[in-house]
Parts: sequence; C-alpha cells; structure tokens
Amino acid sequence: MNVVTARGSIKQTANTRRKHRPDYWLPIIAAGLLAIGLVVVYAISPGMSVLKGVSETYYISKQLIAILMGVIAFIILSRIPYTFWRSKVKFLAVIALISALAVFFVGEEINGAHRWIQVGGVSFQSAELVKFALIIWVADFLARRKSKTELGDFEKTLKPIGIVFGAIVLIVAIAQSDFGSTMVMVGIGAAMMFVAGVPLKKLILLGLVITAIGSMLILSSGYRRERVVTFLNPTADCQNEGYQSCQALIAVGSGGMFGLGLARSVQAFGYLPEAANDSIFAIIAEKFGFFGVSLILAAFAVFFGRLTRIIERAPDDFSRLLVTGILAWFAVQATINIGAMIGLLPLKGITLPFISYGGTSLLFVTGALGIAFQISRYSSLGNKVKESGATSYENPTYRRRERRPHYATSRRSA
Amino acid sequence: MPIVQPTSVGARRASSRLSSPLSTTVNPAKRARIIYGLLLAISAIFMIRLFYLQVIQHDHYSKAALNYQLKEYQIPAERGVILAQNGSDTTPLVLNEIKYTLFADPIYIKEPEKQAVELAKITGDDAGRYTELLKTPETRYVVLAKKLSREQHEAISKLDIRGIGTRESSYRTYPQGQLAAQLLGFVNEDGDGQYGLEQSLDERLAGRPGELKAITDAKGVPLVTNPDNVVIEPEKGETVTLTVDIGLQRQVEELLKTGLERAQSQSGSVIVMDPNNGAVKAMANYPTYDPAKISEVSNIADLSNAATNSPLEVGSIMKALTAAAAIDQQVVRPDTAYYNAGFVLVGDRKITDVRNSTGTQTVESTLVNSLNTGAVWLLKQIGRGDINERARMTWHDYMTKHYFLGNPTGIEQAGEASGYIPNPEDNDQGINVTYANTAFGQGMSATTLQMAAALSSIINGGTYYQPTLIHSEKDINGKERIKQPVVRKEGVISSSASADMVTLLEKVVAQNVPAATRSGYRVGGKTGTAEFTNPNTGEYYKDRFNGTYMGFAGGDKPEYVIIVRVNEPKIPGFAGSAAAAPIFRDITNMLFDNFGLTPKE
Repeated sequence: MNVVTARGSIKQTANTRRKHRPDYWLPIIAAGLLAIGLVVVYAISPGMSVLKGVSETYYISKQLIAILMGVIAFIILSRIPYTFWRSKVKFLAVIALISALAVFFVGEEINGAHRWIQVGGVSFQSAELVKFALIIWVADFLARRKSKTELGDFEKTLKPIGIVFGAIVLIVAIAQSDFGSTMVMVGIGAAMMFVAGVPLKKLILLGLVITAIGSMLILSSGYRRERVVTFLNPTADCQNEGYQSCQALIAVGSGGMFGLGLARSVQAFGYLPEAANDSIFAIIAEKFGFFGVSLILAAFAVFFGRLTRIIERAPDDFSRLLVTGILAWFAVQATINIGAMIGLLPLKGITLPFISYGGTSLLFVTGALGIAFQISRYSSLGNKVKESGATSYENPTYRRRERRPHYATSRRSA
Repeated sequence: MPIVQPTSVGARRASSRLSSPLSTTVNPAKRARIIYGLLLAISAIFMIRLFYLQVIQHDHYSKAALNYQLKEYQIPAERGVILAQNGSDTTPLVLNEIKYTLFADPIYIKEPEKQAVELAKITGDDAGRYTELLKTPETRYVVLAKKLSREQHEAISKLDIRGIGTRESSYRTYPQGQLAAQLLGFVNEDGDGQYGLEQSLDERLAGRPGELKAITDAKGVPLVTNPDNVVIEPEKGETVTLTVDIGLQRQVEELLKTGLERAQSQSGSVIVMDPNNGAVKAMANYPTYDPAKISEVSNIADLSNAATNSPLEVGSIMKALTAAAAIDQQVVRPDTAYYNAGFVLVGDRKITDVRNSTGTQTVESTLVNSLNTGAVWLLKQIGRGDINERARMTWHDYMTKHYFLGNPTGIEQAGEASGYIPNPEDNDQGINVTYANTAFGQGMSATTLQMAAALSSIINGGTYYQPTLIHSEKDINGKERIKQPVVRKEGVISSSASADMVTLLEKVVAQNVPAATRSGYRVGGKTGTAEFTNPNTGEYYKDRFNGTYMGFAGGDKPEYVIIVRVNEPKIPGFAGSAAAAPIFRDITNMLFDNFGLTPKE
C-alpha cells in the first residue's frame, strides 16, 4: 500500500498520521489488574469493615462504582481525538491550579494533610487532576519548543518548566504535604523532557538541582526524616514509625512461594494500615506469594512495553510526549508503591495504578489510559523509517526492516 | 540575561546549520526504549528482592507474623459453688451469676454527652460521670459500669452505639444473704478468693482456666477461618459441700445477735461443733457483712472470721483443760479434796479468788466455783506438789501436744491464728507466776475454734479430731468424695478421765446454768471471764472483760460442743456467767427444741 504513496511524497509521509487498529493489549491488561484489585478488596473487605465499623459491602461496593466510572472515563477519553487536549491546555491548567488551591478552602483534613476536596458527599484528590493536566501541558509545551528546536534553550524551555515545577513543589509538596505525588510529577516531567530530547547535560544539571531541593525538603520535615531513618532500618521499630513498613514486610515475607490463599491472609485484619489502597501489593504478596506477584510484575512489564511501543510509533511529538507522561505516571507510581512495600524505598502513601482501592486514582488512571489507547490508533510511517536508520528514502530496501505486514490502505481503513 | 543569550543564539545558529529538524542527534524512540529498559531493570531488582523476602526469608517472616497475629487467651473457669447441709439435704450458700461490664472505646465516641445520657438512662448512673469517661483522651478502654443485669445488657446492645460494648463477667451470688459471711469469704474483682473458705480453698474452687491460642485481627478478635486455633477447655472448680447446717447456722447467728444485745456487747462469736468427728456445724460472728456488697464494708476487721482468726485470753474455761490434764495424770480424782487458804503465793505474787474460797475444796468445787487457787493447786499436783519444771513441761505438753493449742488447727479458713502458750523452759524468774496464771486461762491465748476442738477431745473419750468445715467435694467429673474424719490424736486423755470430765462439767452447769439443761439429756460446761491487756500499755484493763462459755449437750454421748465468746459486755456481773452463759443456754435449748438430739437411756 504505502509503498506507492510513500514514494510519491516523502516529506508528507513523515508527518502524516495513519489510522489503524488500536492496541487492545492496553485495556486487556488493565482489566486484568483491575480484576485482581477487585478480588483482593472483596476478600479483605469483611476484615476492614469490622475494624472500621462499616457494613461488610462498603469497600467492595465503592470499588465497583469506582471501576464502573473508570470504564466510562476510559471509553469517553479513548473516543476524544487526542488533539482535543492540545486546544484545552490552558483551561485544564487553570482548573488544576484551582483544584490544588481549593483543597485549603473546601478541603478535608486527613492526618494533618490537606489533599482532598470535599464537594457534597464526594471527596476528590486534587493531585490526580494536577498530574493529568501537567502531562497535557508539558506535552504541548515541549512539542512546541521542539518544533522550534528550542528544547535546550534556558529562557524559552527550561525556565518555564522550572517555574511550573517550582509551583508544584510549593503547593503539592509543601502546602499539601504530599511528597509522594510530587515525586510522581517530577518523574513524569523528567521522563517527558528526556524523551522530548532535552540535552542530557541540562537534564542532569536539572536533576541535581531537584535532588538538592528534595533533600532539603526531607530534612526540613520531621516525619519525612523519620521515614527515611526507618526506611534505612525498617524492623528496628515495628511499633511506631516503622510500623507500616514492618507490617508490609511481614505480609510479603509470610506469603512464601505460593501465598496463604485468597481467604487466609491475616495482615489485612487491622495489622497493615491502608491494606486496600497503598498497601494492597503487600496483601497480594501475602495471599498469592512470590508466584502471584511475579505475574503482577510481568503484567506491568508487558503493559509498560506496550506503552513504550506506542511512544515509538506515535504520529507526532505531542502524542508521543503525552504517552510518555502517561507511562511515567503509571511506572513511577508502581515503582514507588511496590518499592515501599518490599522495603527498597521509603513509604510515600501512593496508590498502585489499577489495583489499589480508591475512586479518584482509578478514575484518572483509566482516563489517562483512554488517551493512550486513542493515540495507539495512529502511527507515523516517516518516524518508523527514520528509526530503522534508513538514510535515504530512495532506497527501496528500507521496507524490509519494518517487520510488519504491509496491508493495502483500502483494507486498513475499511 | 547576558549569560543565557549566547547559548540560545548558539543553539539557533546550530539548528540553522542543520538541513532538517529530523536529523537532530536525539532519537525519541531510543530514549523511550532507555526508559523501558530502566523499568525492566527495576522489575528485575524487585523480583530478586521479592524472592529474597518471600522464599529465602519466608520462615523468618512467618514467625514474625505469628508474633503479632497469634494471641493467647485465658478462658475463665466457672468457680465451684458452695453448699451447706440442710437437714438430710443440701442448699447452696454461694452460686455464680453472669453479669455485664459496660465499657467504651473513647476513640469511636462521636457525641459523648448524648450517648452518656442514653447509657445512664439504662444503668441509672450519673450521666455526667459517663461523659467525662467517654471524653478520656488517648485511651482505648474505659469501664463505665459493672454488674449490669441481662436486661440492661440487652437494652445497651439495642442502642447499637459504636465504641460501646458489654462484656460478660461471672460474679458470686449469695442466695442466703449475709449468712455465714465471714466463714465463706468473697471473691474480688480479679476472681481471687479473699478471706474464709474462698481464699483457703481458692485453688480447688477456681478450677483450671482454659486456653485459647488463636490467630486474631489487630483488635484481638480470633479469626474463625484459621484452622490452627488451639482451644483447651477450662476445668470447672470443685463443688464444696460444708458440714455447716444452714438452719443451725441461721439460728445460732440470731441467738448470738440477741445475746450480744442483751449483754450490751459490740461483738462476739459462737462455734457449734460435732465432738465425735470435728465437723463444724455452725460458726457465727457478729458484726457481720453482706458479701454481695463488699465495697460498703467500712471496717476491714469485719471481713475476718474472728472465731478462727482472733485469739483471746480464754479465762476460766481453761480450768477444765487443766483439770482434765491433772485427772489424766492420775494425780487427782474428781472428788480429791484439799485445804484452800483462800490465796496462793507463787514467788512474790499472791493469787486470790473473786469469792472467799477458804476451806476444804475439791476438783469439782474448783470448777463449780471457778477457783483460781484451785487451778493453781491442780497445776501443783501435776508437778507432784509444786509449780516446777515438771508441772510446766507436763502442762505445756497437754496444751500443745494433746489439745493442739499454740498452732493453727488447719481448718479450711484463711488467716487462722496460732494463739499463744508460753514456753515452759523460759528462764525468766516469773515463769512459775506465768504458769500459775495460764492454769486458769490468763497469760495465754487461744481461738474459739481451738477451744472447741480441745473440749471435744476431752469429752468424747479422748480423741482429737481435726476440725473441719468440709463434708464432701465434687470434682469436675461429678465424682463426690466424702471427707472422712481425721484423727489427730488418740488418748488425748484416758477414756475414764474423759468420763470424769463429762460428769464434772455436767455438775457445773447443773449448779450454775440450770436453764441450759433438759431432763433426759446431759449438758455440761464452764464459764470464763477473762481479763485482757490494753494494747497501748500492756497492762490488764481493770474494768473490761471478755466473757466465754464452753460446753456440750447430748445424750449418753455428747452430740454438740458449743463455744461462746462475748467481747466486753457492759451488762453487770461476771462476763462469763452474765453475758456468755445465757447464749449457751439459748443454743442448747434451741438444739433440744429443733435438732432432735438422742436422749440418754
């Protein structure tokens, strides 16, 4: 098919989107992860509800509603052309900023931290919206700068990015006291700048500055300092600061090779805090053992692989950066969450994407996946050619390096 | 920004030199693959760490998990009940009853004021106090009320307040009210027996608590799903049936109370005992208390069983014991006569009688008229003519090795006293004076129970039975063990000496308390009026006495031994005859009227 057309107009091909079959692996794996989360929440729901004094179906019904809303969000966002978001960047940025500040006015204080907006009977975690808007803004911004080849420019690129992230640190990390979400956002930004092509030297310099600021923040807050200390020596203090880390390790370790079984785990009965959301990975490890968590990690690896593939084939810079941000979002959260549960990273209070209990997180994660799914419908041959290292489009052999069946355009678009 | 500008200019210049923006050195796909490679590396590290935690360190964490999850609970055992004789049947004196303790977890209490009022309406307590308790900070457990009824428990459950709960507790109940309170003792909040039988037999009554080892949730509620739970069922305590007869006990308590009122005394004790086996039939003290309302007892001394725990200088009833020893030693017969000068000099002390005793006296008249000089004469006969080492050693031997004074009898009562018999080998110059006094019951002490057991052995033919309150015990298997009488000593005195003593004591009663006798039956006894010392000065009070009476009733064979103690009666006359003897009389009459004694042939 495009053999002929590609030869006809080479320059256009490089920037022309081709529409094709979307990547169904994304919703399939996500559905699997959602199902595991639902089953585990169902299994530990009675234990948690007794301790919290709510009805036995409280957690499972809330999670079912969250998943239903997530599926709806996925379907809607997967049908909106990704270019739509580019036109709404400013609007989204303003909404996100308002929601981040609204926490302090209509917010609910939980454990001394302002992170939730309470409107009517619905509570909502503003950080999730901020992450979503941030990805779209950074993608749009970097794509623009890239088209003008100003990615390495301090004034035009690095300074605005620095200001935005400075604001995030001020509001999310310091005022909302949500260091975990800040880490995720910094990770998202770093990954997007890296893929966009910001020169490595400047990225490393930026990384050093962020590390310095981060260290200062950790040392300035007593509880964060203690978290780091307990992280360095988790079993030393099972009663107080290290309690959650310690109980997480006990849950993971007592799972053994094949786990205690779905109904037999004990740690969810009040021992391990946040068993359904932040600590759900440890409960899965306890129930299904090394065998079970290996499957989860493999599922995430395949899932991230599919997203990487979409990045590689993305039709344009904006969509590529968008998917990069989404990948970074999921990957950094999964890494921080699992790393904390197995005692490799300090605890951050962050959910495990698709698996953890919690409405806001699920809604935005599935919504973001909808965008990635929409982008997976398109790819660009020109980029593909370039990646394969062909120096000349005149060379007829270039197609051999693209190991894909070459269908006729009519068949594909039918 | 002079520093920045050159860079951007340079960048622009560089890009303008390039023919196409696509040919920048940065390849986005490659960078994406680098990120993915990093993620795979992290996954690999996580896998290694998970393998280490879950497979290599599995045993360590399994043990750590049990450390937190496995909890051991005691399942309380049901305490054994206590029964008393009721004619030929038995009747419970102490039973168990489930009551409810109301507690709260203040963390869950959202509206302390409102909920305090709701709860107080049910329990009848002060709502203000509840509000304070419900507001207690940093506590997960406060007790609001105890001993609530089943109805109150159900009403509280119906309120269904989060953070409010009730817990079952077993409490002792006393269907006979205050009856035999000091004898029984009570059970404290921790479930430990205190005083009396409850403390003395605590181990047997308590049974053995069961054990539950279970995997629990973080609040300690066992998880039913776990098959490794271990349950050891508790063993119920033994059921104890007393020798005490409930009807006799009740009447003795009443007669003691009215007798003390009549004698204008604040306190006293009575023991009724079967001299032929050592079984205590009634053991009463006044004042008493309500074991169901321990918290209302103001004087802690009221909790103690004075009949076994409070020794006293017994006074003239001791003359019977001295006489029995002398007759058994065959140094005198009941009718042995001697000349009494009206006083005896022992060392530099002059011992006299309260009445003129000058003239010819006998053993019988010594007891009938309660002569102190006569008791000293008896001691001298034991010493073959004088108060000497032989007299002291022999008398002491009778007191401690025959009558078992000076040591607790070993009855099933907590806190039993030893009493005091002076050491005969004491080198003090005054030892002979001391012994002259002990011969008529001064300068020594014994409990009411010790005297009852000693008198029993004197009048039953010379066998000292171990005094006991236990008729039988039923273990958890329902097997009943009837306790056989335990003989501590045969031949306390010879049977002929015993027969002489019965006759002698009978004559004493016939002359002094004829109202206590009844035709067809044999009733004997001896009064005692004892001085006692001021605990502050160590001197004897001049105007304060304790009255005692020691006697028996029956047919050919004495069936009951009765000891009466009246503390400091204000009634005019000698405490023994004016205060204690009438109570003895009332009791013997009550026995004749209600308890069908076998008359003599």
